[in-house]
Amino acid sequence: MGLLENWINKGRLKSPWVVHFDCGSCNGCDIEVLACLTPVFDVERFGIINVGNPKHADVLLVTGTVNHRNKKVLKNIYDQMPDPKAVIAIGACGTSGGVFRECYNVVGGVDQVIPVDVYVPGCPAKPDAIIDGVVTALDVVKAKLGLGEMPKVTVID
Amino acid sequence: MLTFIAALIGLALTPVVGGLLAGVDRRVTARLQSRFGPPILQPFYDVLKLLGKAPMVVNSWQVMSAYIYVMSSALAVLLFFMQGDLLLLFFVMTIGAVFQVVGALSVPSPYAQVGAQRELLQMLAYEPLIIVVFVGISMATGSFKIADVYAMEKPLLLSMPFLFIALGYALTIKLRKSPFDISACHHAHQELVRGVLTEYSGPHLALLEIGHWFDVVLILGLCSLFWHTSIVGMVALLVVTYAAEILIDNICARMTWPWMLKNVLGVGLVLSVFNLLWLYVS
Amino acid sequence: MQSVSGDVHPEVSRLSFVLCYEVRMLDTLVFGSVVFPLLAALAVYFVRGDAARNIIVPVSVAITAAAALGLAGLGSFSYSPQAILGISLNGLITVLDFALLGFIFLIALRMGNLLIMGLTVLQVLGMVYLDFFLMDHGTQVTGFYADSLSLTMVLIISIVGGLICFYGLGYMKEHEEHLHLAKSRQPRFFFFMLLFLGAMNGLVLANNLSWMYFFWEVTTLCSFMLIGHDGTDEAKTNATRALWMNMAGGVAFVAALMFLQKSMGTLSVQDILAKSAAPGMKTAALLLPMAFLCFAGFTKAAQVPFQSWLCGAMVAPTPVSALLHSSTMVKAGVYLVIRMAPAYQGTMLSAAVAIFGAFTFIATSALAVGQSNGKKVLAYSTIANLGLIIACAGINTSAAIAAAVMLIIFHAISKGLLFLCVGAIEQKIGSRDIEAMRGLFKVMPRTAVITVIGIVTMMLPPFGMLLAKWMALESAATATAAMPPLVIMLALGSALTVLFWARWAGVMLGSTVPGENPPSEHQPFTVRLPLLLLAGGAVGLSLLSPFVYSMLVAPATALYAKATAYTVSMGVFENNAGVFAVYPLFLLLGVGFVYALRAAKKVGPEAASLPYMGGSQKVVDGKIGFNGPMNGFVETAAGNYYMESLFGESKLSKSINVIAIVLLAVMLGGVL
Repeated sequence: MGLLENWINKGRLKSPWVVHFDCGSCNGCDIEVLACLTPVFDVERFGIINVGNPKHADVLLVTGTVNHRNKKVLKNIYDQMPDPKAVIAIGACGTSGGVFRECYNVVGGVDQVIPVDVYVPGCPAKPDAIIDGVVTALDVVKAKLGLGEMPKVTVID
Repeated sequence: MLTFIAALIGLALTPVVGGLLAGVDRRVTARLQSRFGPPILQPFYDVLKLLGKAPMVVNSWQVMSAYIYVMSSALAVLLFFMQGDLLLLFFVMTIGAVFQVVGALSVPSPYAQVGAQRELLQMLAYEPLIIVVFVGISMATGSFKIADVYAMEKPLLLSMPFLFIALGYALTIKLRKSPFDISACHHAHQELVRGVLTEYSGPHLALLEIGHWFDVVLILGLCSLFWHTSIVGMVALLVVTYAAEILIDNICARMTWPWMLKNVLGVGLVLSVFNLLWLYVS
Repeated sequence: MQSVSGDVHPEVSRLSFVLCYEVRMLDTLVFGSVVFPLLAALAVYFVRGDAARNIIVPVSVAITAAAALGLAGLGSFSYSPQAILGISLNGLITVLDFALLGFIFLIALRMGNLLIMGLTVLQVLGMVYLDFFLMDHGTQVTGFYADSLSLTMVLIISIVGGLICFYGLGYMKEHEEHLHLAKSRQPRFFFFMLLFLGAMNGLVLANNLSWMYFFWEVTTLCSFMLIGHDGTDEAKTNATRALWMNMAGGVAFVAALMFLQKSMGTLSVQDILAKSAAPGMKTAALLLPMAFLCFAGFTKAAQVPFQSWLCGAMVAPTPVSALLHSSTMVKAGVYLVIRMAPAYQGTMLSAAVAIFGAFTFIATSALAVGQSNGKKVLAYSTIANLGLIIACAGINTSAAIAAAVMLIIFHAISKGLLFLCVGAIEQKIGSRDIEAMRGLFKVMPRTAVITVIGIVTMMLPPFGMLLAKWMALESAATATAAMPPLVIMLALGSALTVLFWARWAGVMLGSTVPGENPPSEHQPFTVRLPLLLLAGGAVGLSLLSPFVYSMLVAPATALYAKATAYTVSMGVFENNAGVFAVYPLFLLLGVGFVYALRAAKKVGPEAASLPYMGGSQKVVDGKIGFNGPMNGFVETAAGNYYMESLFGESKLSKSINVIAIVLLAVMLGGVL
């Protein structure tokens, strides 16, 4: 049983499938997320696959501010991801609400609705920072599984 | 008894081969797109991870269907290694295909429903071709038993080249490759999500993936029957076939189901009739 | 196998005492199968009242079933009763023939239907010519002859048919409650149902073709009366259509009788088959009547272009559809084609029959794909399977005949079951549309699961239907008459079959909670028992298929070809062409299935999740949907692809009919 458990844990760290949710982004960060999939960055090197379905995903990438209209959708998508899972807030808006922070219809950053493991700020966030964020999220998962220490920096600069 | 033990060993090795094939496939595809690509073992990491995820289902029928799918695919592979009846192993494989669809249809999810309907149409496209290929084999060897294929002196490919192309169509559909990746394509995020696989997740998705490996190995095994006389010829035929599949996948767009039906059944059946007549005359 | 002859005069020796006893026994059993249902029918008709009917029907179908089992136990026989109550049977049947035709003529007259009147007159003229000018009344013709094929049919008719009649008790009560009838029409209904059982048994046991013709016409009449039972305009129209198409078949039957009497000098099936075996006999003189008999069989089996009458017959109450229009009466058509198969073996006619059957198979399977009406899907699939059986008869090798008989047996059970299921579902949800059956599991868990079992036994291994289909495909591929078009039609047809069955099974199992166990639905005992028995029969008999094969099917094929179709050992069917391991498959798939079920049971509500709906899923009143504009609820709606633009009736029927008519013309013309 131990062997299988080890293998499964290895798989967990080598196959982070991401689902990307645009929570009201200006599309700046979305384009950068998609740029990660291109031959230049090629995230599949790390086993990362961009899936369209939270039920298949391990990591949730959220771009944009959360507003009152879509916070429920965000929560739903998060709930539909089977454990273990991680969340990455991307861009200035995703991490804190950004320039829309004080708007009447804005709730704020992603962490107002669901727990966030890694923050990737920037306007927009750079693709290499996003990839770094996913890899850091794997360390968070590892720590949650009790296999390592929690990474010291969970805000990718 | 010896065949049975050998068949069991073959059965155990099948997922390993299937996973490695999928890994090589992903790597070669990445290179064709001038990317680096994942490790060769990536499909195993994926499946292991999925096995470790918490189960999440809409209803119990899905779970049942996933298990029946992987079981019947494995059984079909076992029948293949036992050198059993071609038609029978195909029917056994159909059980899995049907239950995959049943599981998807049992969920009131628009994406799974669309995927299931498309999967059924894919089955409609490849099933006749596979049956006709078997009929061709039986006309060449006098029976549907795989053992009788191995008793032949000349490779089947020499007498059934067009049926081999027809089988290639079936293989492309079964591998879920473009232009026929219409039922469960993971590139179609928005419109299809993951089609027939949308509502399967975690360990049950892993089961379906393993079942898929069984199916792929089985159909490649059927292709290998076309050059049974030497191992080198067999491997070369498979390598060329699979390379062609990857190439087609990378240069084709995803097409619609009416196009698929017309193209596969039209071209495939004409090729088959031609080849069957040829066999009939000679 | 014992063989006794009814002609033996009882003598005082020990041997003849035994013979005499068996003739007595036979007398009783044949009486119990053929005449007794008629008496029961009369009793049901005249002794009105629910209580009496609830006793008479079960008792009489039980007696008929027992008689059938007795006959099957006795083995093949030939038997020639001369007279009943002192009246010569030949004369009696001739008189009844004319009475029946006269009755149908009166019906046609009252409807003012010139076509049916014309067809009836043609038959009357033919029969007059046959009876008074052609027939040599001095020659003896054995009245009844039974071999494994007939006995298989008798078993199906009496047991499956009996169960369907029993189901009818509960069904018709509810049916009439829906209709709010002032006066129950059930006596009439059960009169024709029971009469039909007797006539059908007579048909398959008859050796004298003119007797068979009589029973044939009785079943036509029963079918007409039962299709029109509800008396709606649609029912009347469809009944009329069924009548004229079947009467057209009757005309072909009479023509065949005349030609046979003229060229062969006898109407005994056994004599004709024996004579046809001689070399040089298969000339137009024999083949032309055979072609006519096949034509009659095609009309009865609703083959294209006559498929419309069977689809129309679906307006009848469900027990009628189950009994007449899937399990038994339409099988009379294929029975006749199989029965006569040796006479045209190895001729062009045989090849034409095979192609025609295969064409019906693919054409009606395609039509079934375009249907969302459950009963119509069943009707088209019935026609398709009958086409497959006819194709097997046309392929005419021992393996193909074995496939045909296996198909008859397993199709009767599974399809009868599916019809009864649809009937029960329709009475509960008020619709027979497949789309209305979405998520039926939540409403009628037991019936939904039984229906899925019925569907699975129709299309997947290791069940009997698939075993038979496997035999059919392999014999088509390895027969010397194998022609690429035949094989390709069978391959395409079977793929279409999988398509429409799989999606039907899928939508019914819908459920939205893991481990959900909905409360079992209430159902009358007379409805539930046949459902359970037939579902058990479909699975159990498949498990016993090696026994079914060696006890019923193999002896039947032995009459057709010297070569044994399959050797069966340890539950593994094998011949030169292939091998089908029934027991190992049952074992492995059974274990796997039980494991899958247990795994499914283990996943409990804690793993529950709603379907993925882009993150805006919402549940209102147990219904799943989207959270729409203004937080409104938008229920998800999904439908199967019926692809009317490809497979619709309006799209296909015309071209199918044209091709079918051409094929028929080639078949009939090719003989000359």
